[in-house]
Amino acid sequence: MSGSSSGDGFASASGSSSSERGRASLPSTSRNGAVPQRRLQGRSPGSADRDMEETDTEGEQPQRLEGGEGDERSRRIIRNQYRELIYSVQQNREDMLSSKSDRLTEALEEANKLFSGVSSAREAALDAQFLVLASNLGKEKANELHSDMTTFDSLVFAEDLLTFMGINRIEVEENDSDSESISGYLPSDAWHKLGEETEKYFRRAPSFHYMLGSFKSDPPVPRQRIERQKKATGTEEKRAMPAQLKKMEESHQEATEKEVERILGLLQTHFQNDPSTPISFFDLVIDPNSFARTVENIFHVSFIIRDGFARIKLDEDKLPIIEPSEDNEEREDGRSAGARNQVVLSLNYKDWKEIVETYEITEPMISPPCHRNEDEMEID
Amino acid sequence: VLSPHLPPLSPQADDGDEDFSLSPTLPRSQVQRSLERRSQDQVNQKVSELVQFLLVKDQKKIPIKRADILKKVIREYRDVYSEIVNQAGRTLQQVFGLQLVEIDTRQHIYILTSTIPRTEGENLRRDNQTAKLGLLMVILSFIFMKGNSVKDGAVWEFLRRLRIQPGDRHEVFGDVKKLVTEEFVRQKYLEITPIPLTDPPEFKYQWGPRAAKETSKMDVLRFVAKMQGKDPMYWVSQYNEAKTTL
Repeated sequence: MSGSSSGDGFASASGSSSSERGRASLPSTSRNGAVPQRRLQGRSPGSADRDMEETDTEGEQPQRLEGGEGDERSRRIIRNQYRELIYSVQQNREDMLSSKSDRLTEALEEANKLFSGVSSAREAALDAQFLVLASNLGKEKANELHSDMTTFDSLVFAEDLLTFMGINRIEVEENDSDSESISGYLPSDAWHKLGEETEKYFRRAPSFHYMLGSFKSDPPVPRQRIERQKKATGTEEKRAMPAQLKKMEESHQEATEKEVERILGLLQTHFQNDPSTPISFFDLVIDPNSFARTVENIFHVSFIIRDGFARIKLDEDKLPIIEPSEDNEEREDGRSAGARNQVVLSLNYKDWKEIVETYEITEPMISPPCHRNEDEMEID
Repeated sequence: VLSPHLPPLSPQADDGDEDFSLSPTLPRSQVQRSLERRSQDQVNQKVSELVQFLLVKDQKKIPIKRADILKKVIREYRDVYSEIVNQAGRTLQQVFGLQLVEIDTRQHIYILTSTIPRTEGENLRRDNQTAKLGLLMVILSFIFMKGNSVKDGAVWEFLRRLRIQPGDRHEVFGDVKKLVTEEFVRQKYLEITPIPLTDPPEFKYQWGPRAAKETSKMDVLRFVAKMQGKDPMYWVSQYNEAKTTL
């Protein structure tokens, strides 16, 4: 027999069994065989010559035999050989199953040879363990047989897959039983290449990905992105806030009031100078340099109207004009009337431009407040 | 506010393709009565939420449990659950070309599959997901070709030939053992069950329900045949089996 035939097919996987053979390396706590003696029958012709009598008395053997020390050593060797054999069969299942290979038969023969040296139950138990393994393999092998003439040879399949993945077989080995041992190297994209091919056979829902790539996290979790965006806007707001807040703190409520009062002052000065002629509303509020200022002016003037300090009405051309209220009483009336009458004025950028041109407004009637930073407000 | 009208579907109408008809003769099921209590906007909102939830959940390919859907999306809309799921399934089909498939009718577990076949060269992105799919296909092929059930030892021995060692860190897959025995199993591509009375314990590997929905025995056989440069009919018994499960 010898290990050469069965043990070294996969040098890297199983370790060469033959090199270890004959070295009694396992420490043995020899307990006398208490294993019930079941003899396994009919496994191969070779086993026919062993029979029950041989093992009947084996429990007593170590004590009875002369030179028990040497016997103990040979038993250890046998156990070791069995373990090697079992390990090598377990590691090379596919090879055992391959229809082209006689490995299983060879392994059985080797076990038979080993068994001829077995004298006690402990070794016999290992023999039984091996037999269970071998019969399982035999069953699997038989299973594959009834799939008609052509069985699936996974060794060939593996080689074909490697070829497809673009293996670089540096060392071309001889075409013997050792040729499946691991050699050659796969390019780094080997599995990607195979994966790409297999995608065609899957109805797999595609997963999201970003056209400009994503973080290396796999797979990209869209939730993360949402969080990130939220955070980004959050910090932006925070960043923008201080500048805005400063302005609002010192100006918001008070500044509006001040501005209204300032415009009212302008208006009253104007009425005092020329009490008979009303002013065109647009002349008053339009700032030809700034749409934003214009909107602001309208906003401020609306307070003056609300509080009844002035009135807006349409002249004969249906254009809005603004005129001062007569006296305090009427102002009270105006106030209550104002509460009833609300006007929504729409003015967009285009309207504003048109009005500036039509009215030929070159100077704002309401000068921009001096404390304002004009650059901020100007549009052009 | 405009809202698309809500078709009053009977709860068993799940074959996505039927026309939205406002037929007043439909039997007034309980679901319909419940639907009347909800505004269409509310139900539509839930449908959109569910579609989004399913799409996001599918990213990791971990099947989606009904319990999660109920807890995270449906919440107090339990009474119209089936209607919401049906509508979400239809949206997924019509908008995304995806099918909502219940892979476990007892525990109500869903997955999404694509109804649009992939064509050659369509893949815009090649990443480790692609590579993982390659490994998965290899394992599925091996299981099918070996008679639908394979012992763990056989799988790993086969993979060793493809330069994959369960103990080593693979340069693409990282912890391969974990990928195969945990990720693929959680995703329901594989089922790994212990074989009773084995010491040391052995396991058998079989296809999981997702594998059966996303691919088929015939597809796998075609893949194997292509790799080996043979006709699928070369493996007679596998071919016959694949044909009957089409």
